[in-house]
Amino acid sequence: MRRPGSGDSATVRRMAAIRANGLSKRYGETLALDSLHLEVAEGEVYGYLGPNGAGKTTTIRLLLGLHRPTGGSATLFGVDCWRNTVEAHRRVAYVAGEPFLWPSMTAEETLEFLARLHGGTDRAYRRLLVDRFALEPSKKVRALSKGNRQKVQLIAALATRADLLLLDEPTSGLDPLMEMAFRMCIAEAKERGQSVFLSSHILSEVEAVCDRVGILRSGRLVDEGSLEQLRHLGAQTVEVTFAGPVPELGDLPGVTAMPTGPSGLRLEVTGAIAPLLAALADKPVASLISREPSLEEIFLHHYDHGDGRLDS
Amino acid sequence: MATVASTARPGRPGAAWAPQAAIARRVLRDGRVRTLAFAYLFAAVAYIQPVSYRHTYPTTADRLAFAHAFGANKAVVLFYGKAYDLLSVGGYSAWRVGGLLSVFSAVFGLLAAVRAMRADEDAGRTELVLAGILGRRAVFVVSLAAIGTAAALLWVALLAGSVAAGLSLGGSAYLALAVVSMVPVFVGVGAVTSQLAPTRRMALELGGAVIALSFLLRVIADTSNGAGWLRWVTPLGWAEELRPFTGARPAFLALAAAASLVLLVAAGRVAMTRDIGAGVLAAKDTAPPRLALLSSPTRQALRSERTSLLVWLASIGLFAVVVGVISNSISSAGISRQLDQELAKLGAGSVLTPRGYLSFSFLFFVVATSLFCCSQVAAAWHEEADERLETLLALPVSRRGWLTGRLVLAVIAATVISLVAGLLAWAGAVSQGIDISPLTMIGAGANCMPVSLLFLGIAALAYGAIPRASAGIAYGFVAVAFLWQLFGALLGAPRWLVDVTPFAHLGLVPAQAFDPVGAAAMVAIGLLACAGSLWLFSRRDLIGA
Repeated sequence: MRRPGSGDSATVRRMAAIRANGLSKRYGETLALDSLHLEVAEGEVYGYLGPNGAGKTTTIRLLLGLHRPTGGSATLFGVDCWRNTVEAHRRVAYVAGEPFLWPSMTAEETLEFLARLHGGTDRAYRRLLVDRFALEPSKKVRALSKGNRQKVQLIAALATRADLLLLDEPTSGLDPLMEMAFRMCIAEAKERGQSVFLSSHILSEVEAVCDRVGILRSGRLVDEGSLEQLRHLGAQTVEVTFAGPVPELGDLPGVTAMPTGPSGLRLEVTGAIAPLLAALADKPVASLISREPSLEEIFLHHYDHGDGRLDS
Repeated sequence: MATVASTARPGRPGAAWAPQAAIARRVLRDGRVRTLAFAYLFAAVAYIQPVSYRHTYPTTADRLAFAHAFGANKAVVLFYGKAYDLLSVGGYSAWRVGGLLSVFSAVFGLLAAVRAMRADEDAGRTELVLAGILGRRAVFVVSLAAIGTAAALLWVALLAGSVAAGLSLGGSAYLALAVVSMVPVFVGVGAVTSQLAPTRRMALELGGAVIALSFLLRVIADTSNGAGWLRWVTPLGWAEELRPFTGARPAFLALAAAASLVLLVAAGRVAMTRDIGAGVLAAKDTAPPRLALLSSPTRQALRSERTSLLVWLASIGLFAVVVGVISNSISSAGISRQLDQELAKLGAGSVLTPRGYLSFSFLFFVVATSLFCCSQVAAAWHEEADERLETLLALPVSRRGWLTGRLVLAVIAATVISLVAGLLAWAGAVSQGIDISPLTMIGAGANCMPVSLLFLGIAALAYGAIPRASAGIAYGFVAVAFLWQLFGALLGAPRWLVDVTPFAHLGLVPAQAFDPVGAAAMVAIGLLACAGSLWLFSRRDLIGA
């Protein structure tokens, strides 16, 4: 596997929307984020995957200068996240994982407040978004459901047309229709050349909208790349049925085998598939199915201990 | 719930009560710091008063002179209520301990009730509890039982302090009962406001207004001729009418019990039938947009704090009018040596003239505006605890800018409240034909600011360093400093130790000379602490509740 972050971009110093350099955060005994190297290019949609507690929100809080890094540093468009926070925020819009807003203000007042604080907001686009997400603007925040409060945050962020959208599980609480509206908005943002950093644990969403994906586990970025690359580098599944009992294949590096019946075998292959094919060449193979792993399988591959127990 | 189901099996008597016990433990744990702080205060005050009285007025002649000067002195009566017997240690203690701690009991009852009956619901935790196997009635009753346990602890603390100071066991028990009888009454008030208001904050503000009104009625009853019957109307008056050590009238306990019962039954009935999460005073769910005061976080803070600001302004303003009006009816008794001594210790000049009395009562307004400053820092902390601050600071809004804005807002609002208090006290005094210039009284109001700034700085510093504890530290500092000012000298503490409290450096104008050095020092320390808080705040992680 490639070392995350040691990307091809290291040669050319172009302006990255996000660049994290050995970014670490320790809360007491817990190392929440362990030396993160990350680069998101301008115009890129980056999916940040990980289960609860893996360090996704910590990363975003560090990128926003809400928490102070224990080690390393990060920049947004070349501006340091901690030392020059306000400047860094001018080109950024943020959607928090939990929609905590001011209960006594209406949705419209909230949108207006956030717009004035941010500066540049496309009001025509905001009206369109209010329609698209079917938000009732005159309702007070305290009377809105969680999903509807989430919409207020999303609309406020999207309407800024900010160069970078930092989204922390933005669709939690949204129904499937609104989820589709959200994907449409991300596609529009991408078309306009905006960068998106989408933290999520909804794999289908990431698969649908992201150019590149990073997988986080216990505060460490364990894999990163385009979906194609991850598929290539992740475990492939090969299902073989033999004409007769399962023969001895010998010791194959990077291959784990599991019987599926008296004459069936499922093989998980990490890395090159050639040695396996060579071993199978002189065996009585009745059928062979190989398929690329789904993102879900890649994800589980990184989290499964092999005994069905998942861990962050 | 699995554990509940398994422990609720028949054949294990007592285990069926496990869920109730869990709720009761939760309520007790939620309030444990508050309960212990109040218990400590109750024990300390109950011990200090009799001891200091014996120390200061050892002979009958001393006590006679003291009683003569104080019996009808409005200034002191304002704080402590009506005195029935100032010649005995018991009578004096009943007056001082009862007058002061009955108000604290009321505050305790309100805080405990709103915490148990609205704060959890406001935060969405009650749904979780009620989704379990306990019904509303059970949760309501168990919460009350837990608060009752805490109140019993206060009763024991007061009793212990009082007995330790040498008062009789029976008398002390009755005095403690008189004081703690305010807890169930104001638990009832808190329970009712928790049903009325949809939010914790509003429930506390409504309940706080009831306490302020009760206190105001007691002040009028105790200080105005012919208004004594008002003691029947206000719960704090019942506590006085119980008259521990001075011809006890326990019948008034029935009044307190009846009021508690009526309030609790009313609250209970509403609690059984209303929607969880909603209040009787249904907040409107929709509103036409009002787009004023949205262009900066500070303006928006003013917008969301406006109700609270008006409640503070109205309560303090009303009190200022009353102080002004009753300043004309101060005692005509001559100034004795003991009175001089006593008042010097309280930090005032002669209160036997309207001018002196008005000056003295501004000690109260200094405490009030200081508490207001603490409340503003607490509001800032709530913005962070509820994670709304995260939304703000993810925008191009600087931390220093945000906190500076909140502090400046607090200073401006405290200044307005102080000046209005001065002006209204003047208006009240002038309405009674007292000749005093408005500028003098506005000056008395402005004189509240140095101490308030100092406490604002302390509160802000606590917020910058240990945000979760900041509100407790801030209010605690004001309370401890004020109590030390009242009791420190009476306990015979050396002068330099008494002078540690900022109230000792307050020239109560116009009766006393303005203390420019003290004021400048307090302003300087306050501003320095604010600057320190900005530095600390801009370096730490934002945290949730």
